[in-house]
Amino acid sequence: MKSLEYAIETRRLNISYGDDRVIKDVDMKIPKKTVFALMGPSGCGKSTMLRAFNRILELNKDAKVSGEIRLFGENIYGPGVDPTEVRKETGMVFQYPNPFPHLTVFENVAIGLRLNKLVKSRDELEDRVHWALEKAALLEEVRDRLKNYPSELSGGQKQRLVIARALAMKPKILLMDEPTANIDPIGTRKIEELLFELKREYTIVLVTHSPAQAARVSNHVGFLYLGELIEVGKTGKIFESPGSELTEKYLTGELI
Amino acid sequence: MWKYDTRKIKEKLFLIAVAALTILAVFPLFHIVFTVFYEGIGTIMATGPTFITGTLGEGGIGPAIVGTLMLTLLSSIIGIPIALAVGIYAYEYPNSRIGKITTTLLQIMLEFPTILVGLFVMQLIVIPTGSYSVIAGALALAIIMMPYVAVYTAESMSQIPFTFREAAFGLGVNRAKSVFMIIAPIAKRGILTGLLISTAKVAGETAPLLFTAGGLYQSYPHSLTEPVGSISLLIYTLVQSPSAADHQMAWGAALVLMVIFLTVFIPIRMSLKEVKL
Amino acid sequence: MKIRKPDLFQIITYPAVIIVFAIFISMLITFLIRSLPAFDMYGFNLYAKNVWIATENPDNEKYGILAAIWGSIYTSVIAVGIALPLSVGYSIFVIDYAPKKVKNLLIILSDVMAGLPTIIYGVWAVFFLVPALKDNIMTPLYDTFSFIPLFSQPSISGFSIMSAGTLLGIMVTPFASAIIRESYQMIPFKYKEAAFSLGLTRYETAKLLFGYIKPAVYSGMILAFGRAIGETVAVSLVVGNAFNLTANMLAPGYTISSLIANQFGNAFIYGHMTSVLYASGLFLFVIGLAVNLLGIYMLRRWRKNVEI
Repeated sequence: MKSLEYAIETRRLNISYGDDRVIKDVDMKIPKKTVFALMGPSGCGKSTMLRAFNRILELNKDAKVSGEIRLFGENIYGPGVDPTEVRKETGMVFQYPNPFPHLTVFENVAIGLRLNKLVKSRDELEDRVHWALEKAALLEEVRDRLKNYPSELSGGQKQRLVIARALAMKPKILLMDEPTANIDPIGTRKIEELLFELKREYTIVLVTHSPAQAARVSNHVGFLYLGELIEVGKTGKIFESPGSELTEKYLTGELI
Repeated sequence: MWKYDTRKIKEKLFLIAVAALTILAVFPLFHIVFTVFYEGIGTIMATGPTFITGTLGEGGIGPAIVGTLMLTLLSSIIGIPIALAVGIYAYEYPNSRIGKITTTLLQIMLEFPTILVGLFVMQLIVIPTGSYSVIAGALALAIIMMPYVAVYTAESMSQIPFTFREAAFGLGVNRAKSVFMIIAPIAKRGILTGLLISTAKVAGETAPLLFTAGGLYQSYPHSLTEPVGSISLLIYTLVQSPSAADHQMAWGAALVLMVIFLTVFIPIRMSLKEVKL
Repeated sequence: MKIRKPDLFQIITYPAVIIVFAIFISMLITFLIRSLPAFDMYGFNLYAKNVWIATENPDNEKYGILAAIWGSIYTSVIAVGIALPLSVGYSIFVIDYAPKKVKNLLIILSDVMAGLPTIIYGVWAVFFLVPALKDNIMTPLYDTFSFIPLFSQPSISGFSIMSAGTLLGIMVTPFASAIIRESYQMIPFKYKEAAFSLGLTRYETAKLLFGYIKPAVYSGMILAFGRAIGETVAVSLVVGNAFNLTANMLAPGYTISSLIANQFGNAFIYGHMTSVLYASGLFLFVIGLAVNLLGIYMLRRWRKNVEI
């Protein structure tokens, strides 16, 4: 496959915190319009790598990145690249639902659009916010609560609000860092169903600590262990016949 | 059975000692509040409302009250914007070389002898212009206020969970907008509280005004370039006078100042969980 | 992906930071320049001798502020001596013993004391504290202990180094308390747990833990010293304003800050006094700077170690 066919491609990716190397020489290809699950035991570096994909890692001054990460063919770590622009193409969802507490539901979804001046009129803004909330399967539940604050929503609803906030920017890639780790089972199921819908239009990278979730939801999967990419490929194949012994151990729960 | 345990006795004594020290530390406040009230209320009652509205000749401290308000307001206008910007800078770059020096500098200026600030502003403004003025006094107060506001702001913002930072930047919003328009508003309560506390503190200052404001009590101030008085400055002058009548006025003025301070400071302080002075 | 744009954030904040630096540096330079004539005239004797002759003829003027320097240090030492037990006792009580509501109340009270306008302290001190000290402490001290140089002469009015020191002690205690209280609170709970599980009493535990935060206590005292030495109005009302260079704390004295506050008004009449006062201010500036830097440095270093 040519590189333009991949949503994300890493080449010789190394990430360190100070002297501590947490991602070691990773070459990984993530295809377009799929759910790609990034799994591995805690501490293996998956959240770190996810944050390199939208350069949010730089908020941590100790982090050093070397190698290439290409989004749709362009190296986002190339010279002269503005990380702010990279982040407009990607949307991020976090482990703990973090809608901005001081903004209403509506304003939460609108804020990215407003500050980045991506819409030209109030009407366009409202349309986009409604559209994003619908895409995140939240509109029905908050239709008459748009002026309320996120503190009144349930955990699952908050997370879908975060998803709407990200979707409003119309990114090409969604980066999700263990999005259901702190959500109740029903909310989790709703979000997983949402992923099935979204992957038709978006490339989704899903960091998860649950192999079961990866099996349920993803089409491709990559297994990271202590910073190294052990195995990557189609979900079905990896789960049925893992190539590496480590992968097998992880899938059967022997590695935590 | 009578059991004798030295450790238990030490324990009791320790509690008593520590409680006593605490009372000693805090008791002066009660005594001061009581004394000021007791001594001051007589004067105010005797003079009536004129005490608040009249000039010194009429037995009132009106011009001083207005002076305090003018000085506090002007110093806030001058000092707060700069201090907010510096505080936010210190929050955003805590580890850069300039950032660290800035934080240290702010801490130094927090405890700087206020009389020296007054002397500096005197040299800067009063001497070249040849006159005491509201502007000079306000500038001195602004310099004193700035480190407080800056430190409160930086502290309030650094208490915001990191995840909101990630969320804001993750939306592709640039640093200026992320920090000023998303993160700072989350901290607005803490920042506002810091502003109010710093303003209250500065309103009660005396030393920086000694050689900048000049004092004006026989008539009301009406110009920024002319001398002005303040309640604190007036008290200082009155206390040093030999006249007992002046002393009575001083108590009355002290009561007014104290009431203003407490009614502003206590509610604000109680609405915040942790405060650093 | 486009090229990096200029950072709006820096454009907004840099000027403010520059202004703050500029203010500090200008202050330092102003004091240096305005002090030069005095250094020219008197050299180091300005700080080393106790003499104050202000006359119309500039050639006959003679100044040496040793008494004020001595007084500043003496009163601040007394202040720290008072603040130390009070703030330590207060901190232990607030954190180890006080129930939650009392704890909050005590902390608020301390903060109010820290912010209360100093002139109010001054007025209260002039009419209450000084007479009370004179009658109940200073006179008995002289009567019983006048053979000790610290109490060698009786106090006439009560306005003295001791009064100033005591007032300062009361005023800086809340400040020191905040620092110590915070540091005491920062001790990881596991150490307290360990102490209690060994069967130590509260007294013994507090003693042990205070050993742990000793550097913080030192910093607190150093910073309180810096605070005390800079205080002006309250001190100038009770210190007596006399050029006394004596160990007797019952005698009236001077501090650098009250010297400046008292003398500056009429300094322009005399040829050299203004410059001398600026030189005094410079001395205060430098002491204040050194003390604060030391205190901040010690506190920061200790905090870094504690976080492990």
